[in-house]
Amino acid sequence: MDSAGIIVAFWLLSAIAVGSAVGVFLARNLIHAVVLLVLSFVATAGLFVTLSADFIAAAQVLIYAGAIPVLMVFAVMLTPLAGRDNGNSLYVVPGVLLGGAFAVIVAIVAIDAEWGAAGAATLAGQSFETTADAIGDALLGRYVLAFEVASVLLLAALIGAIVLVREDEPA
Amino acid sequence: MSALRMGRRLPRRTVPRALMALGALVAIGFVAVNVAIGYVVIDGRLDGQWYDVRDLGIGVQELREWLDDRNAQQPGILDFLGQHWISYAVTALLGATGILSIVGGALLILIWVERRLIGRMQIRRGPNRVGPYGLLQPIADAVKLIQKEVLMPRGADKVLFFLPPALIFIPMIVAWGPIPWGAQMAYLDVHVGILFLIAVSSLTTLAIFMAGWSSNNHYALLGAMRTIAMMISYEIPLSIALLSVVLLSGSMQLSTIVEWQSTHNVWLAALLPLAMFTYFFSSTAELNRTPNDIAEAESEIVAGFHTEYSGMKFGLFYAVELGNALFVAALTATLFLGGWSLFGLEEWIPGYLILGAKISAAYFLLVWLRGTLPRFRLDQLMKFAWQFLIPLSLLNLLIVAVEASVFARWEVKGIVSLGLFAIVNWAAAIILVREWARRMGYRPEREAVRQPILTQGVGGLQAARRLGAPEMGTQV
Amino acid sequence: MTAATEPYVLNIGPQHPSTHGVFRLRVVMDGERIQDVEMVVGYLHRSMEKLAEERTYTQNIPFTDRADYLAAMSGNLGYCLAVERLAGVEVPERASYLRVIFAELQRIASHSMANGTFVNDAGAWQTPLMYMFRERERILDLFEMTCGARLTTNYMRIGGVAFDPPEEFYPAIESLVDELPERIEEYAELLVDNEILLARGRGVGIISAEDAINGSLVGPMLRGSGVPWDLRKAEPYCGYDRFDFEIPVGRQGDAYDRFLVRLEEVRQSTKIIRQALDGLPSGPHKTQIPLALRPDPGEAYARVEGPRGELGFYVVSDGGSAPFRFHIRAPSLINLSLLREMAIGASLPDAIVALGSVDIVVGEIDR
Repeated sequence: MDSAGIIVAFWLLSAIAVGSAVGVFLARNLIHAVVLLVLSFVATAGLFVTLSADFIAAAQVLIYAGAIPVLMVFAVMLTPLAGRDNGNSLYVVPGVLLGGAFAVIVAIVAIDAEWGAAGAATLAGQSFETTADAIGDALLGRYVLAFEVASVLLLAALIGAIVLVREDEPA
Repeated sequence: MSALRMGRRLPRRTVPRALMALGALVAIGFVAVNVAIGYVVIDGRLDGQWYDVRDLGIGVQELREWLDDRNAQQPGILDFLGQHWISYAVTALLGATGILSIVGGALLILIWVERRLIGRMQIRRGPNRVGPYGLLQPIADAVKLIQKEVLMPRGADKVLFFLPPALIFIPMIVAWGPIPWGAQMAYLDVHVGILFLIAVSSLTTLAIFMAGWSSNNHYALLGAMRTIAMMISYEIPLSIALLSVVLLSGSMQLSTIVEWQSTHNVWLAALLPLAMFTYFFSSTAELNRTPNDIAEAESEIVAGFHTEYSGMKFGLFYAVELGNALFVAALTATLFLGGWSLFGLEEWIPGYLILGAKISAAYFLLVWLRGTLPRFRLDQLMKFAWQFLIPLSLLNLLIVAVEASVFARWEVKGIVSLGLFAIVNWAAAIILVREWARRMGYRPEREAVRQPILTQGVGGLQAARRLGAPEMGTQV
Repeated sequence: MTAATEPYVLNIGPQHPSTHGVFRLRVVMDGERIQDVEMVVGYLHRSMEKLAEERTYTQNIPFTDRADYLAAMSGNLGYCLAVERLAGVEVPERASYLRVIFAELQRIASHSMANGTFVNDAGAWQTPLMYMFRERERILDLFEMTCGARLTTNYMRIGGVAFDPPEEFYPAIESLVDELPERIEEYAELLVDNEILLARGRGVGIISAEDAINGSLVGPMLRGSGVPWDLRKAEPYCGYDRFDFEIPVGRQGDAYDRFLVRLEEVRQSTKIIRQALDGLPSGPHKTQIPLALRPDPGEAYARVEGPRGELGFYVVSDGGSAPFRFHIRAPSLINLSLLREMAIGASLPDAIVALGSVDIVVGEIDR
């Protein structure tokens, strides 16, 4: 199943993703960090493509490479004091702790998962042509409750954001 | 300047020999591949399939079969990267070159066409000196731009200033992938076509922002901020408009949408007028074209995000702008005007010619808008997006969703149901636009105010009062 | 919780598409909102008024071409009137009529330009400007026919005009005056009913009648604010009281009203030209004056209603062949002075539209 081309693509994309992710926290310039982050996200989208998950790849590009950096960029641009300096952060220790914990979780999942089970045998009967249809069916069928809860959560976040930044009415 | 002042001679700018050789090689290869493509097309014509350039697909298929045969006979020589890697590589190379040469060639022609058209609209001739009818004007422009010095403002962020003209080219080229030019004639017929297009075009924002921020110029920064604000706002109605297309045709794949229109013998423009208007208007906002060109409003912020770019870097921004406009025309033609199909006529006329004609029509509309209208203000556009386009397109989506589910279940398909939908949608569009405009405070009765008062007598403040001049500090 | 912002300084000009020449605005902005405007003028200063003290009265006429280079005829006219008043020169009837015709043609040309650039500043991509240029070109052709120059005409002379128009002038101006009303209606149809222009111009750069008078605004700026003041009616010169025309006055005093007033003034000018052509008397076009005119010591001030408003010339004589003092009261400079009031609190695009509606000519501001 895995051809050499896919393997080469996987390693190349992984190297770009990890390399630019490392660049994100090494970059002294905040805007450079955001740009590197986008590169990392795009490489991740490429990884999805190698897994034939074209819907998720497109969504990844749309949301993580298109929308989220714009938000960050806006935040950077609208706060002049943050400027270009990505200096020492107050949150080094919590950050390292959080990152370490996340790494441990990923490692446990990676070791614990039975990778063979999701191999050719399970996937043989399924078609990869229509990931979008399958995702749609799953979201609006089996997982409709979770889907709706998530949408309510997002709506609450939206309203919360508006309430937070609204200017006070003159008394 | 500083070199002159210090008495040194200015260093002569030289291009390394190796780079020139590489450039020449690339150019020769480019020409060769184009000749090959042309040969395939002409060859296909000699075989009797003159209108069909699905030859790329057929050729790749044949290559693949040949590889399989070869594998069966003598395994292991060519498939060290997987079974069909050669066919993939050939497809990628041919397709990418094809897109690049078609879009690049179209851009060169478009510069001339647009300038001629605008010239005609402005009762002048447009370029007419270089070559016959001024046809070589774009080439002269390009040569001039390449020769110009590329300046970098002091205090600019070097890396981020250097990248955007190149980066912004990528989404423009990639977006052409899923456009079908005929049956099975899409280079990258991805299953999530529309989502793919929205995703790819959203990448432009970042390049524009990088250009604006790195220039170290207030005009550029203002332009970048305006662009981002516009893109955030107009991506929503644009996506909703495209979503209604997806709902009705039941697919995100562009080729399937075109086939849906072809089999039902209808253009989606007839079924979804409001969606088409929303899409087109939002696109002009994302394209920075009048009446929505606030991101590079010449009379206000000079050139917006690319104020500081000179020479060919500016040329690249200019080309991308035209290319994106052409792409919007292509997507409008594909989604709303039936793409390469023309009510059965595509049996006789090559699909790419039909699509080309439709693209030209849609593009002409864009040029026309540019030649006619003044510009909105930023806050007016924002208001229009959030208070007008988004609610209307949401309501439209609701109607289309009902229609789509009716269409899926109803026995009476074809002309009856689609005709009914068309009538309902047009009526809904007209009523919605009118009523919503009234709700937003639009009153066409303001006609009378559009004439000045005429008087014979003269006078000062008293006379002004008598004529009804506004009091000091009155709000109109 | 509110977002705190910091103002920054934006330099608009001296090279900027919307400053109509070399003129600079130093704008303090908060985001897109303008907090303060400082106008920096003087980039085009050519020391006209001082140079004029070294030249004879007739030699000074070309300076008035180059002050307001979009309305050279009006400048010529104002200066000649001032010197005629100083020296007591009588002007033949035919010369007065010709002066009216050319001044009104100049007004049409200048207002076309003003309205075209105004719509350009509102964001149209050159098209209205090009349409406006169509009529302006024909008017400039008429100028060329008569005096050999298109822009810097140098046509009026002390005691009349330099040349009698040639034969081919009359059919050309007849056809122009016949076609103009039609053309103006075409522009009105294209521009006045344009919703975008209405949205951009209405309520932008409002000046009340009181402010306009206190700021000593003149011309379409003043009339746009609702004050019916026009020197052609209030203080008729060159026999303007013989012609039947009306003064357009704005209702709200905003940029759009000034645009409407200018459009209507073009209509009225066409009417005046038509009447002047019909009543054009025969006779000499010029009185002979001595080559080196030496008026008696004294001073004179003459003002005309130029396209941009009251254009005044102040000439002092000490009995010599050159003026002792020469001063131009430039309408653009005075009109511009209220830009600060219009721009503060407005957004950048609104300020640009307000500036466009002032219709400045930098040659006149800096002299």
